[in-house]
Amino acid sequence: MNKIIMDDTIGRDTVLPALAIRNLNFWYGSNHALKDISLDFPIHQVTGMIGPSGCGKSTLLRILNRMYDLYPGQRATGEVLFDGRNILSPGLDVNVLRSRIGMVFQKPTPFPMSIYDNIAFGVRLHERLSRADMDQRVEGVLRRVALWNEVKDRLNASAAALSGGQQQRLCIARTIATRPEVILLDEPTSALDPISTARIEELLDELKQEFSIAIVTHNLQQAARCADRVAFFYMGELVEVDTADKMFTAPHAKRTQDYITGRFG
Amino acid sequence: MELPSTITAGDGAAMDKNTRGRFGDLVFGMIARLAGWFILLVMAGIVIVLASGGWRAFSTFGPGFFTSTAWNPISDHFGAATSIFGTLVTTLIALVFAVPFAFGVAFWLVEMAPPALARFIETAVQLLAAVPSIIFGMWGFFIVVPFMAHYIEPMVTHYLGHVPAIGLLFRGAPYGTGLLTGGLILAIMITPFICSVMTDVFVSIPAVLKESAFGLGATRWEVMRQVVLPWSRQAVMGGIMLGTGRALGETMAVTFVIGNSNRMGWSLFAPGNTIASLIALEFPESSAGSLKLSALLALGAILMIISFITLACSRIFLQRGTSS
Repeated sequence: MNKIIMDDTIGRDTVLPALAIRNLNFWYGSNHALKDISLDFPIHQVTGMIGPSGCGKSTLLRILNRMYDLYPGQRATGEVLFDGRNILSPGLDVNVLRSRIGMVFQKPTPFPMSIYDNIAFGVRLHERLSRADMDQRVEGVLRRVALWNEVKDRLNASAAALSGGQQQRLCIARTIATRPEVILLDEPTSALDPISTARIEELLDELKQEFSIAIVTHNLQQAARCADRVAFFYMGELVEVDTADKMFTAPHAKRTQDYITGRFG
Repeated sequence: MELPSTITAGDGAAMDKNTRGRFGDLVFGMIARLAGWFILLVMAGIVIVLASGGWRAFSTFGPGFFTSTAWNPISDHFGAATSIFGTLVTTLIALVFAVPFAFGVAFWLVEMAPPALARFIETAVQLLAAVPSIIFGMWGFFIVVPFMAHYIEPMVTHYLGHVPAIGLLFRGAPYGTGLLTGGLILAIMITPFICSVMTDVFVSIPAVLKESAFGLGATRWEVMRQVVLPWSRQAVMGGIMLGTGRALGETMAVTFVIGNSNRMGWSLFAPGNTIASLIALEFPESSAGSLKLSALLALGAILMIISFITLACSRIFLQRGTSS
């Protein structure tokens, strides 16, 4: 997957992005919510998406795993390229797609089952593992999200009994358990306290070694801390995209500058 | 009189108890209280009439009243077993057909149907609940009974009649009227109740919970079976109990199609009766003070107890279902 090609024009290795959006338009009924977006999500990097409420950043995230399919009246045109295919094309198996592009939501959403089963749920949908292999997978991802030591003695207890921060880490563990290539996070810390938030931010830094990450956030500091690249959206348009450093120190567009200095939003 | 506080500014005169509206409040309170107590009074009245009216039958036949299959007004021998049996069997048949049917309709309405069509079908389901039971009775008698007698029952006998054990259920003359037909009519009648409870709880599931499951690559059915159903299990059970309660007491429609015979056997095609149908048919022919009337009142008490238990179960399930 990590195809490396020689780009002769600049004479160095160029890594193809994990996801590439080309001329994407999106409508909620007659409301044109995203306008001609083109954006790359580099492999093994965290791409942050910021912008005021209603700018379309969450909408964009929900296109990347075809979540909008669940609702009538929502449609997208253009291309979202992943693994060499346009994921918007009708012939694509969305269930496979969603196992390869995982999603974590704003609020923790543990399923009404045990901690163990919460993780095994997604794995069982796509793989047949022996009991031992499944145990190993569950332990592995729980260690990944630093939850193992806190829950190893009560794997069969209901996931609802965990704290909010633990639940969110469980949801991240559940998402990476199906071994996706891309993880989408929709304001994953907005319902959490500062300590839980910090732990999840640390986790993202570690997870990007293995996954490509797209994160929507309202918290500009969070974007500055976690993201390698940041995209600023405003009223359904992609205003600019750049490295986090440049975005927060020397943005090109006036609208970006106004937003990050708190003049609106 | 409170001492005026000198710690805050003002003297608090505006907060003196206002007498305006006190009279209306009092009258309204009285009416509401009376209405509340009246319900209890009505309930107590029913229980007392059934228990005291049925007492003679209970004391004459003893515990044997529950196990005797007799119903002989000439020799004055009465038992409740046949009609209790009929009531439970028809209700069970109704549930066997109605629960999957209602689930299918609810699943389709919530997860798959185009919204405009879903609204239309939902209204139709509610209308089905509003059809008077006498209409179901007549429709059952003129349409369903001949259909059962000519097509379904002979066919079922042909295919299942020779299967060991369960074949016993599907043998016998295809009268058309009988326990199976009664159960089927009941199934149609209770489906809307079960279906609307299911639709309500399925819709009330947080969208983000379902999206999380879809986000892991689950199909609609996997989401329904592994996330939605466990989440709404209690409320779904409550809905089923609600339907059960209605099936137990349904009278008119069942009376039309069940055949009204005081028999008890293995065949589901055979005519039978239920507590409600027996009471409806026999009540006009029971003279005041007769043992037969007492037996019918005793049957009423038994039906009420069964219904109470079912309703209590449904309340408990629904309460737990909505609180979690």
